[in-house]
Amino acid sequence: MRRETLKRHAPFVLSLIVGAAAWEIVGRHTSVAFMAPLSDTLARLWQLTRSGELPRQALSSAALFVTGLALAIVVGMPLGLLMARLKWLREALDVYVMVLYATPMVALIPFILSLMGFGFAPKVLVVFLFAVFPILYNTIEGARSIKPELIEVARSYRSREWALWREVMVPYTLPYTMTGIRQAIGRALVGMIAAEFFLSATGLGQLIMTATQSFDTAAVFAAILVIVAAGVGLMRLGRMLEARFAQWRT
Amino acid sequence: MSITASGIRRAAPAAAQGGHIVVRGLTKRYGALSVFEGVDLDVAEREIVALVGPSGCGKTTLLRCVDGLIPAEGAVLVDGEIVREPRPGIAMVFQHFGLFPWKTVYDNVAYGLRMAGVESAEIARRVPQFISLVGLAGFEKAYPYQLSGGMQQRCGLARALAVDPRVLLMDEPFAAVDAQTREILQFELLRIWERQPTTMLFVTHSIEEAVLMGDRVVVLKGRPSRIHEDITVDLPRPRSRATFTLPRFAELRERVWSTLMSEAKKAEFQVGP
Ligand SMILES: Nc1ncnc2c1ncn2[C@@H]1O[C@H](COP(=O)(O)OP(=O)(O)OP(=O)(O)O)[C@@H](O)[C@H]1O
Ligand SMILES: [Mg+2]
Repeated sequence: MRRETLKRHAPFVLSLIVGAAAWEIVGRHTSVAFMAPLSDTLARLWQLTRSGELPRQALSSAALFVTGLALAIVVGMPLGLLMARLKWLREALDVYVMVLYATPMVALIPFILSLMGFGFAPKVLVVFLFAVFPILYNTIEGARSIKPELIEVARSYRSREWALWREVMVPYTLPYTMTGIRQAIGRALVGMIAAEFFLSATGLGQLIMTATQSFDTAAVFAAILVIVAAGVGLMRLGRMLEARFAQWRT
Repeated sequence: MSITASGIRRAAPAAAQGGHIVVRGLTKRYGALSVFEGVDLDVAEREIVALVGPSGCGKTTLLRCVDGLIPAEGAVLVDGEIVREPRPGIAMVFQHFGLFPWKTVYDNVAYGLRMAGVESAEIARRVPQFISLVGLAGFEKAYPYQLSGGMQQRCGLARALAVDPRVLLMDEPFAAVDAQTREILQFELLRIWERQPTTMLFVTHSIEEAVLMGDRVVVLKGRPSRIHEDITVDLPRPRSRATFTLPRFAELRERVWSTLMSEAKKAEFQVGP
């Protein structure tokens, strides 16, 4: 049994070992100004954690990330359902959704800066803008694919509009929205760092910038490692939730 | 809706059951396309009227009008009230089953009751009754994709029966299941109907099914379609497999057949169940 598990995960584990080794070796043979070996990175990670610097900055970033993403879900899902249900609203807003989905959001940051300044709110807006469109887009696509027959069944049983949303539209669309949220997680992380770089420097973005300025490459890599770990973890969580809500789909 | 305390266990139907359908001069047009014209139809309380006709003649459209899902010229009345929108006590069983794939069998059956605002204690009492009535006991937690076509339609049937309807609108309910299952379901439906006779407008492509189920067989055809024949089925009830062997059954089947075939459209019909 143990053997079997070992065998199954062998390629993954091996690849991790090779990757770690490569990082260590390349790091040792490059200037510290460019790259820190894995061992130094981990040591610095431990230091930064113990000093409280890393947890503090990570928490600040997390607050930004969570607020922006939550806002994107709270706006994206209902608006998507509404756009799927109301033809005129869809026709009015479709073009903006498409254009904004395709826009590289980083390009909007200077504009947001001049409009809103340096507070928490403009940074949340950046994360929100990075995250909302995949959620919106997937929700609309999902809700529009509900079979009209099922809407008719609901009408036949005298469903009210609210019940139609609760019993039909939302449960049907949720797996699509979850796909959107999973995509949004990655984008929100990018938005978070971008906001911390280009608006007021806070959180992990600030940690990376100050570390870069003082040539503390190990700290830079430590921060990146944390962000990557968070990203991978969140994606997995998203996938699990997606599967949970799509149980009924064959 | 009359959700009686005794539920399905009541032996005889309540006196004030209702379920009298009156259709007068019903015409349905989609733009330039006239689906049917001047349809007059009466279905008495507890009567089963089978509706047959070639594909595309407007059988589903007629049922949707009677259910109040779509508007049409003319009038549909159920128990004297004009039907303009879906009304309580009229339940449809769909050809495509119409189950919600994200709901379990239990929740699908509970759906109509919940939409009707029935209190949850009553729902919890009725749903298992109807699930076992259609022979789905043990599958309460299954999702539709885990069920065979026949089982899915049993679930659709339970959902419709659970709201204790005065009128059942059946749109080719057994067309999408295999022949054996179909026959089993026909007799189960007859058994359920014997226990609690409900007015039924039963659309089918199968002439045998029409004669087996119906007190009358109504033939809809033409373009735009009209009611061509209204054939009384004077076969004794309760009907069973033995009904198939009656000489009168064969006569009536031939009669419906020849009415349908009087315009050559033979390829569209199956004689089998
Ligand atoms: N929403 C609609 N818009 C336009 N035409 C429609 C619409 N619904 C139905 N029709 C047309 O009305 C006619 C009757 O359709 P209907 O589905 O009622 O036929 P049917 O008798 O139930 O056929 P079948 O036996 O194949 O189920 C068809 O020609 C169909 O194309
Ligand atoms: Mg039809």
